[in-house]
Amino acid sequence: MTRLFRRLPPWLALLLPAIVILLVVVLVPLLLSLYSSFTPYRLTRPESLYKWIGEYNYVKVATDANFWMAFGRTVFLLTVALNLEMLLGLGLALLVNKVTWGQRGLRTIMMFPMMFSPILVGFQFKFIFNDNVGLVNNALQSLGITDQAIAWLVDGKLAMFSIIFAEVWMSTSVFAILILAGLFAIPRDPLEAAKVDGCTPWQSFRHISLPFLMPFIYIAMAIRSLDVARAYDIVQIMTNGGPARRTELLWTLIGRTGYVDAKMGLANAMGYISIFLAIFFTVYFFRKLNASRTALGYNA
Amino acid sequence: MKRTTLWSATTLAIPLLAVSGLSTAAEFDGVTLDAKLIGGQQYEALYARIGDWESETGAKVNVISKKNHFELDKEFKSDLAAGSLGWCVGSNHSSFASQYPSLYADLTPYLTPEFMAEYVDSNIAASKIGDKLVMLPRAQFDVSALYYQKSLYEDAEKQAAFKKEYGYELTPPDTWQQVSDQAVFFSDPPNFYGTQFAGKDEAIVGRFYEMVVAEGGQLFNDDWSPAFNSEAGIRALDWFVNIYQQGAAPKGTTSYLWDELGQGFASGTIALNLDWPGWAGFFNDPESSKIAGNVGVVVQPQGSAGIRTGWSGHHGFSVTESCENKEAAASLVSFLTNEESQTLESATGPLPTRKAVWEHVVAEAEGDAYRTEVLQAFQAAAEHAFPAPKTPYWIEATNVIYPELQAAILGDRTSAEALEVAAEAVDEMMRENGEY
Repeated sequence: MTRLFRRLPPWLALLLPAIVILLVVVLVPLLLSLYSSFTPYRLTRPESLYKWIGEYNYVKVATDANFWMAFGRTVFLLTVALNLEMLLGLGLALLVNKVTWGQRGLRTIMMFPMMFSPILVGFQFKFIFNDNVGLVNNALQSLGITDQAIAWLVDGKLAMFSIIFAEVWMSTSVFAILILAGLFAIPRDPLEAAKVDGCTPWQSFRHISLPFLMPFIYIAMAIRSLDVARAYDIVQIMTNGGPARRTELLWTLIGRTGYVDAKMGLANAMGYISIFLAIFFTVYFFRKLNASRTALGYNA
Repeated sequence: MKRTTLWSATTLAIPLLAVSGLSTAAEFDGVTLDAKLIGGQQYEALYARIGDWESETGAKVNVISKKNHFELDKEFKSDLAAGSLGWCVGSNHSSFASQYPSLYADLTPYLTPEFMAEYVDSNIAASKIGDKLVMLPRAQFDVSALYYQKSLYEDAEKQAAFKKEYGYELTPPDTWQQVSDQAVFFSDPPNFYGTQFAGKDEAIVGRFYEMVVAEGGQLFNDDWSPAFNSEAGIRALDWFVNIYQQGAAPKGTTSYLWDELGQGFASGTIALNLDWPGWAGFFNDPESSKIAGNVGVVVQPQGSAGIRTGWSGHHGFSVTESCENKEAAASLVSFLTNEESQTLESATGPLPTRKAVWEHVVAEAEGDAYRTEVLQAFQAAAEHAFPAPKTPYWIEATNVIYPELQAAILGDRTSAEALEVAAEAVDEMMRENGEY
């Protein structure tokens, strides 16, 4: 054994522990789950792991309207939540950047929502949007704005809105913090030169600050797109994908199929199809990131 | 001579002790049983008795997991998948039991017929899969009865108005049609609702299931093909649809589970509430409920077929097939569900599953009018109880059915369409699972 190690080039011998760990922790489970997606594997029937059924699960998933509707809803959530978070985060960062006294305190306070567990955020908004005893309806009724009990978590559009609201509440600060870091990094010279040349504040922001901020925005987008594409906890607690599948997302569907129905083979097939969504958004945002860095002359 | 006498006395004593269900001191000396039990404050009093069993038998119990049933269910499935079945005793539930047909052992060989006869027969029947007794029921039996706000029925104005509109006296309902009439009559949204129902997951399918039975239908045929897309099924689903569409239940009811329902009734904004026995104390406690002192309970109503609803479930303890000391494990399970254990557990409210303990709790409640009313209602309710369909695919079927029930309730589909879609999906699922 020792002789074998000696024969290896030193770089490989040094990297070997990392490679072994990566193989065991990432590659083996990945291959196993890929294999199981070609079997009718059920958690309650371990022997079903050895029955090969070819692409049956993939065909079933690909022809399942409920799966594609969940897929579409996930893309919708991703698009709306990311854009809202970006706009609000940008606004928040610009405001905080203007503050001259107590900025550190503000930055810390801004990060509070990120410190909560998503499960707790889910419970919190489930209560806030409850149609009978929830804060929102009670406030609206007390203020005389409505005399109806608005079913926030039941109506198709309102339920999606409530979930997006919770996501945005929790994660806008991710954008705000990253964009604020970008604002700190902007060199002062071009901004001052623009001022001397008579640019309006909007022109300096549009043509100088924003291009400098874009790499930061795309990094935040890439990180958050992965987060939202696997949105599970908040949705699971607030609506569990319901009612009548109105808020069903990919991972609530996959979670239920795999762990409640115990159909792990089918769930893995769904997972492998869904993974393309995450890969697509990551590649897209990294391309954008590179383009914006090239525009700034960083990649030259 | 002396030695012979002693020997024969001992040989006589061992079978006697075995038959009487008592354990000889240190019977299981050196045996350690790993257990996975349902966790929660309300169960701790019973678990405190495990120490007594340990000192009586010399065995040790090592509780390696304490979670709620949904979490335990996932853990059992993972254990089955990983083959890590080194533990012996597990909490079980009649609604989950049929999912793990190979996990638990038949307890019949370890129990005397006399001992088994002490349990309520319907509970023992619900604890079996085929002929296999997979668990012993503990004093955690659940069947629903109808709670209502008494004052609504004592109001002379309401009585007169109701009789004028519906042509019969306003009394606590005995049929689901009456529940429907009265729920619509009492409703004044968004401040007050006639009734409510669990609106998602297994809960709504359970409620639909008992309503189908009460309407004279069934959820599945004998071969487990779906049977709920029938006239009775449509009538059953229409009951929920009508209640919801007429505004007689809160709009959010499709997202409610048991906690929301209990809290809702206790908040005083619901007139009639089909609910479990565990809430009886909560509803009548001024600390937790706005309607304390105003709560009545009657046996659950009947459907148009003259059958009462009665979807029921109970907790129990099981012994794994892979347990090395099944005898010791069965002894522990018997101990945790014996008369003393059930008396202790039912003292705080849950319903027993042993005949003698039922008599005991009813006698204990004498002088307490509310408790007596509750127990009488639930004792009557228990007579009409029936368990969830005993297929390993019950939970999976509920996951296929409930979004369609919700779609009908919310008005996205008609009842007939929704049931047709659900039936097709269940049919495909059962075929895939090789049921037929």
